[in-house]
Amino acid sequence: MTSKSLISLLMAYGDDELVLGHRHSEWTGFAPHIEEDVAFSSIAQDEIGHASNYFMLLAELTDDDADRLALGRDPSEYRNAVICERANGDWAYTLARHWLYDAADDIRLDALERSANKELAQLATKMRREERYHLIHADMWMKRVAHGPVEGRSKLETGLSSAFAEAIGLFEPIELEGEAVDEGWLPTPSSELKSTFIERATNTLDDLGLPTEVRASLDESAEFVASSSGDLIASPDGDDAKPTRPTGLGGRSGEHTADFDQLWGEMTKTYREHPGASW
Amino acid sequence: MTTISATIELAVWEALATVPDPEIPAVSVVDMGMIKRVDVVGDEVCVTILPTFTGCPAIGVIKQDVGAAVAALSGVGSVTVETTFDPPWTTDRITEEGRARLKEFGLAPPTGEGPVLIANIGLPKRAECPFCGSTDTHNENLFGPTPCRALYYCESCRQPFEQFKDV
Repeated sequence: MTSKSLISLLMAYGDDELVLGHRHSEWTGFAPHIEEDVAFSSIAQDEIGHASNYFMLLAELTDDDADRLALGRDPSEYRNAVICERANGDWAYTLARHWLYDAADDIRLDALERSANKELAQLATKMRREERYHLIHADMWMKRVAHGPVEGRSKLETGLSSAFAEAIGLFEPIELEGEAVDEGWLPTPSSELKSTFIERATNTLDDLGLPTEVRASLDESAEFVASSSGDLIASPDGDDAKPTRPTGLGGRSGEHTADFDQLWGEMTKTYREHPGASW
Repeated sequence: MTTISATIELAVWEALATVPDPEIPAVSVVDMGMIKRVDVVGDEVCVTILPTFTGCPAIGVIKQDVGAAVAALSGVGSVTVETTFDPPWTTDRITEEGRARLKEFGLAPPTGEGPVLIANIGLPKRAECPFCGSTDTHNENLFGPTPCRALYYCESCRQPFEQFKDV
């Protein structure tokens, strides 16, 4: 019998790659200079290629079709983290998200290399090798902008302040997380991956002299910070912190933002208008 | 039986050596190190391929071309073409012949010797211009027109060129 928690894991991670890959591809033709146009197009191709491999595994397990899984679901059936669906905004936000996402992806792929599902473990090993180039690219840009003129640095700080808070949502537990961990599909629980991620990201930000406080605005009124354990807690200076969900969470249970509706509409348009088309 | 199978297997390898990588037609799938194994049972042939980059769209065409080349051989009844990431394809699988062909094609070959350790994956310390042989070159982009290529510029002959990334 096919494990439902394995399906949940593949869908969450596959959707992250698909949706962020789609956002990256929106820079094709529009990036600030031609080399970054090429770079983001290539990174997008990698991420969508990775998504397609997750969906091929999923299709085998569920006797479904990888294209249908990628493009034939209703918006509420997608399980990507909210940060992946956010509109690209400016170059600085894009860069901050790229750096945070690829660091997070590296940490979870490292764990997946030990997955009890052999095919997934082998895929993780392969993807992680390719992802090295994403990490090098993101690190190079973070250094360049952090050490560059004040205008760019200030834009990067603004981008980081929203992206870092929402990046935590990449480690929101997947559906059936307990089973996925117990059955060995996800060898390290999301909460541990999250702590590793926050430590790694804050260390690099410290080295670059960038602010490390993780803030997530809640209805623009209360703020949350990440504690050393990785849990989000109300910020001491947030005046009216309610125990409501901070921004960036909900994606793993299919709760998305208006940004996702726009992306979904565009991403699935051809599939919906021409059912069964192949190319 | 064994002899017939061995004969078929040899013919299959010879046929595969004529199947080009569709994005780098100068190099065969054998010289790219993409063929993990060929299994022959009776007249049934199974070819197992290691995809180079997971996001490379050429893999569909490669599977088709490999299947067609093998099916055309006399003595072959049925062909299956499978892919696996076990082991991951790495650039050290490209043969010496393959590296020479890459260079002729205008692509600087990967520089890593032996299995590429994940921590060492990245830009080569020096990339040699495939046109003039100079190492007075600099990287312009970690990425390029396909997932496997990075962009360089040669200061000596003033030509842009592409390098096959170590992975």
